[in-house]
Amino acid sequence: MKRRDFIKNVLNGTMAGSLYLVFPLNAHASGVQTSSKGRAVLPEQIPDMGDYDILNQEFAFIVDITRCIGCGSCCVADKREYNVPDGNYRTWVERYVKGFSDQVYVDAPNGGLDGYQRPRTDIDEPIRDTFFVPKLCNMCQEAPCVQVCPVGATFLSPDGFVLVDETHCVGCAYCIQACPYSVRFINPETRVVEKCTWCYHRIRRGLLPACVDACPTGARKFGSLKDKDSEVYQILKGPGVLTVLRKEMGTWPALYYKGARREVV
Amino acid sequence: MGASYVQRLLIVFIVLVFAAGGGLVMKWLLTPSSFGIYGHYRADAIVEEIAVPIRHGTSASCAQCHTWEGKAHFTGLHKTISCEFCHGPLGDHVADGKKIGALPVKTGDEITTLCLRCHNTEIKARDEKVIQTVAMPQHLTDQKVKPTHSCNQCHYVHAPMKYIQRAKQITGEEEQFL
Repeated sequence: MKRRDFIKNVLNGTMAGSLYLVFPLNAHASGVQTSSKGRAVLPEQIPDMGDYDILNQEFAFIVDITRCIGCGSCCVADKREYNVPDGNYRTWVERYVKGFSDQVYVDAPNGGLDGYQRPRTDIDEPIRDTFFVPKLCNMCQEAPCVQVCPVGATFLSPDGFVLVDETHCVGCAYCIQACPYSVRFINPETRVVEKCTWCYHRIRRGLLPACVDACPTGARKFGSLKDKDSEVYQILKGPGVLTVLRKEMGTWPALYYKGARREVV
Repeated sequence: MGASYVQRLLIVFIVLVFAAGGGLVMKWLLTPSSFGIYGHYRADAIVEEIAVPIRHGTSASCAQCHTWEGKAHFTGLHKTISCEFCHGPLGDHVADGKKIGALPVKTGDEITTLCLRCHNTEIKARDEKVIQTVAMPQHLTDQKVKPTHSCNQCHYVHAPMKYIQRAKQITGEEEQFL
């Protein structure tokens, strides 16, 4: 090798090396996904949602009461995601206080939107236990609200979500009376029924429901039961005690509660 | 002369055929095209539900631009808190890759209120294994600071023990938290 070539090669090598330092690693290597236009896209939180077979899906939502601290992050996220009108709640957090006389006191000031800043002072007996219970649509697989809808505006989708067809709902509110969990309300602006959808629009884009994403303690968990590695599948498969609300009504909810006391309804 | 018996029957029959035919036409006109694909509802309602705009991103979407805050946040004790809970949804901040508005920043008493949503010991339902709680204003007197202090005067909100830990290392006090 000539001396001139040697120097050329060394210089080329160092220049190429220094370019690696100047230009950051490409977006994929640094963990940020980008679209074809180079714009940042949202990360995939639920795997394998791109190739979606609507007829072969099963999802579950698990609320872990032992981890809920009543911060209300979920309620805030939910209200912002849908611009839910004041006084209506698609999800809310109830506070259960149990006295030594076995009397149960439940309250949910503003649905838990402002969090729980102070303890209850109106209970004149020693308190045995306090816990929070987040509430949302139970996604009944035998849904009473679907049965009573006279116009077919509320329905159970093939992938197991109870949804509302807003363009066909006539606002008769029959489903509001039928729902055993009181998750439905008439939106005062649109005059049709609205309810928690487990953020169906987010799920289909591979994102977790807004409340699950916002929960700081992992009290809300969502995932596909077709994915054997998902956290909800592992919990449902495992030995932990899970309950559903109002099992005796035969609604077969896809929402499970972990660590729920028998007082929870 | 009136219509014969057969003619009367024929009129009734024709009226019935027209009524049924009209009914079928009306049904064809008024039934939405996607009705009944999966069941007694409009299948397009599912498509419309998917089209609802997303207003919350994820903390990862915030960290794409706010890398410094992201790094501090995801290595601190507050890593599980969603950015959007305190700061507001991505939908109010960014649209089509462009900034459309500034998100409010909490200050002073708002910060303390926000912290105590989770960290208030008085609410007896908060398990030590899940969250560290404090009693206010007792915590302020214990730490020998003014009762008017807000939380973020000692705790960096994204990584609450980061600088306290650093200060303890410098002053040689033992490590209590990670």
